[in-house]
Amino acid sequence: METLNDFKNSFQNGNRMDLNFKFFSHLTDDEAADFIEELLARLGTSLNDGRLERIAEHIVQGQTRAYSRPAKYNYEEGPFIRFRKNLSETKIALLTSTGHFLEGDDPAPLGVPNMSQQEAVNRIKEFLKEKPVLSTIPKNTPVTKLKVRHGGYDISGVQADQDTAFPLNTLSILEQQGHIGELAQFAYSFVGACSQEALKKEVQQEWVKLLKQQDVDAALLVPV
Amino acid sequence: MSVGHVARILEDNGIATVIIAVASFKDNLESMHLPRVLLTPFPLGRPIGFPNNKAQHIRVIKAALNRLNNVTDPKTVTTINEQYFSAPSSSK
Repeated sequence: METLNDFKNSFQNGNRMDLNFKFFSHLTDDEAADFIEELLARLGTSLNDGRLERIAEHIVQGQTRAYSRPAKYNYEEGPFIRFRKNLSETKIALLTSTGHFLEGDDPAPLGVPNMSQQEAVNRIKEFLKEKPVLSTIPKNTPVTKLKVRHGGYDISGVQADQDTAFPLNTLSILEQQGHIGELAQFAYSFVGACSQEALKKEVQQEWVKLLKQQDVDAALLVPV
Repeated sequence: MSVGHVARILEDNGIATVIIAVASFKDNLESMHLPRVLLTPFPLGRPIGFPNNKAQHIRVIKAALNRLNNVTDPKTVTTINEQYFSAPSSSK
C-alpha cells in the first residue's frame, strides 16, 4: 500500500514526476495533508467565481513552507557597491541559472550531447557534483534558437515564454524605450543545480572576466 | 544558492547586482547577505511572472532595476506587490 510519504516523494522522483510539486517531499505528512485539504477547498471556491489567484497563492505558500529551512550558506557580511549611475546610462547584463543555451551550442552536461529534459531530471544528483558551464547567448537571439534544459525545476513556464525566467526580450524592450542605457551584447545562463564548491573555486573568476570584457555596470541575476 | 555566490563575486569585482527570485527562496537568499534582492510572489520556475504577460514582466524588471541605485544598504530584500494571474494591462 502506498503511504502518504510515498505519495509526497513520487512527485520528485517517482511515478508522478512533476517538478511543480516536488516540494511535497520537503513537507511533513501533516503539512502535506493540510496543503491538499486547503487546495481542494480553494478549488471548490474557484469553481464558483473562476478566480485562480487563490490557487497560485496557495502553491507559493506551500513552496515557501517547504523551502523554509536552515540555510546552507550564512554570511555575516557581503560586498556592496553604492551604485549612483542613472539607469538610462547603465549597461546591464543578464545572467540566469535557468539552463538556457543557444541552439548548436549545447553544453553537453555529464558528457551527453542533446540530453533530454527527462534525463536531466533523472540525473539531477549527478548535476549537483558537476562544475557549472556558462552558456553565452547573443542578445538578439530569436526565441526559436533558444533552448532550455534543467533537471531541477519545471521548465514548462519558460517553454511557454522564456521571459518568465530568462527575461532577455523584456530587457531589450527596456533598452529600446531608453529605460536602461544598454543591454550587454551577450546574456549568460547555466544550470544552477551544480557543485557549489566548483562554482566558487573554479569558474567564478572566469565569469567575472566575461562580464568585465563587456564593460557592464550592472547585472540582473535570476535564479530558479 | 548558485546565483547568490555569483552576485557576491560580481559585486566584489565592481559590477553591481540585483537578483529577482521567487519568494520561496527568501530564507536562503537573506542568509547570503546579498546586495539587492527583489522577491516575487510567484510559483517556482516563474520568477518574472505569468507566461506572456509582458506588462507584468516589465513592472517586475523595472522594480528590480530601480533597486540598483535606490538601495543604500546591503542585504535589502523586499517583495513586490504583484498577483501572478494579474491582467496584462498597464506596464506602469
